[in-house]
Amino acid sequence: MILGTARATTAPRERDRASFHSRKQASAGFYILAAITVVLSFFPTIWIFLTSIKTEADIYAWPVQYLPDPVTLENYFNIITETPELLLYIFNSFIVATTTTAVILACGGLAAYSLGRLTWRGRNLVLILILAVSMFPPLALLPSLFSMFLELRLINTYPGLVIGHTGLYIPIAIWILTNFFKSVPSEIEDAARVDGASSLRIFWSIILPLSVPGLISTGLIVFIFSWNEFPLSLVIMSDNFMRTAPVGISLFPGEYSFPWEIITAATMLTILPILIISGVFQDRLIGGLTAGSGK
Amino acid sequence: MKHANRAGIYFLVPAVLIIAFVLLFPIIQTVVLSFGRNSTSIFIGYEYAGLANYQRLLKTPRFITSLNNTIIFTAVTVPLELLLGIALALILNRRFRGKGLVRMAVLFPWALPTALNALMWRWMFNTEFGLFNSMLTDTGLALERVNWLGAIPSSMLAMMFVSIWKTSSFMALLLLAGLQTIPSDLYEAGSVDGTNRLTEFRFITLPLLRPAILVSVLLRTMDAMRTFELPFNLTDGGPLTSTETLSLYAYRAIFQYVNFNLGSSAILIQFIIIMSISVIYILIIRRGDA
Repeated sequence: MILGTARATTAPRERDRASFHSRKQASAGFYILAAITVVLSFFPTIWIFLTSIKTEADIYAWPVQYLPDPVTLENYFNIITETPELLLYIFNSFIVATTTTAVILACGGLAAYSLGRLTWRGRNLVLILILAVSMFPPLALLPSLFSMFLELRLINTYPGLVIGHTGLYIPIAIWILTNFFKSVPSEIEDAARVDGASSLRIFWSIILPLSVPGLISTGLIVFIFSWNEFPLSLVIMSDNFMRTAPVGISLFPGEYSFPWEIITAATMLTILPILIISGVFQDRLIGGLTAGSGK
Repeated sequence: MKHANRAGIYFLVPAVLIIAFVLLFPIIQTVVLSFGRNSTSIFIGYEYAGLANYQRLLKTPRFITSLNNTIIFTAVTVPLELLLGIALALILNRRFRGKGLVRMAVLFPWALPTALNALMWRWMFNTEFGLFNSMLTDTGLALERVNWLGAIPSSMLAMMFVSIWKTSSFMALLLLAGLQTIPSDLYEAGSVDGTNRLTEFRFITLPLLRPAILVSVLLRTMDAMRTFELPFNLTDGGPLTSTETLSLYAYRAIFQYVNFNLGSSAILIQFIIIMSISVIYILIIRRGDA
């Protein structure tokens, strides 16, 4: 709470603050630290990328060949021709993550509107309860969810994993969205209410359009969470053709050998959306995370 | 007002149904299963066994090892992540050319899937063809290749290193939010009084950042205590069970040895520990506020 609300109100202050500090010129030492951060952060991904564009012989060479020579895309083509199930895993991840995001924004958005803008007794208690339930370790769900989903024939189905992911991440989405909805000015809403608009109408035609930035932030965060989720996907999607990308790639190696040329190429394909999202939408992600962090 | 009241509760129904179905009911069932024997459901053929599973766990050396591993892992990684997180947050809180790139660099490790990230590092730690062994032997720092993930304690150290690499950035993002709430007049007042960078940090930044530090340490501790994907993909919990965490142990008990009841009790012991730590933290936060 402390952090979340403060962020919205201190935006102008932050600017003063930055200008105050920028009067002191950033030193060379500072830039070296910043450069080290950037290098350390990207070097594993760069190394995986370099591995993925080497020939198989060059990947398994000692001494290690640092730069690919020749550069080849054969590992990527081999995925298409020889192990297309890896593409299917990425497709499965895409279906699950997009559907989960849509369901969470719809159901979580309604709930957050109610918790953030409507006045009824007990809403703070409900918000705290929702957060408390989300604190349970996800692994605590596994044995029960597995036997429940087996009974309900939800194992190895898209709806099964979408329901699972929705349950895991709807609490954090409600929390972030509630904070966003609270920051929408109430004058317009009051005017519409005087004109006789219903709560659902107000939500749909006033609150939602004004909250698009918050919805985008929340949607991106939930998409990343669902795209990356591991334990639940591992247990619910046990059929080889239903696996999601993180699980499918992790289980792809046989018992003894790791085909690194395929694993690195498939990993690059899977993290590409994440790389793009964290580059293009960094403001939105940081805004959403800091709004949700003030638990 | 009454109208808004009723609508407010209707709006909650879909979300509450999902939470009840996916979180609330399964958690209750896990609790009940942990007191059972030979049962995978509380509806079909449930047999009550009292505290038998808990007693058995406390006498199982492998469980105790996984508990120790988890506690050591958490105790080492969280403080180091906090230090790095503060440093990164201080960098991000300044204005400088190229800030967008640095911000992306901090965000990216957080956004990577932990499972695949563990695989990426597994390749870099590879004994025969790995980047690290190559760099070490090329620079003469090591004479021969090291079996990082196949030896004790280097595989635990590798796991800690990867965790610190990935989650310091999450710490930084939470702390950045805290830094931005510190009013700039304080720094201006401080500079009138002749503060330097160090005293400014010690007497202005650190005390005001305290709530953010406690919150981020709490969230990270809870997270580190339930580490699962990292040992699953980086070390397989090995060598032997030297990097097996509580979560990995519970997963294996449930799905490899198909003992839902024993696994459920392992998860509950983990949960009780996490809850106790959280309560202690929250008491510390409360005391600071009073």
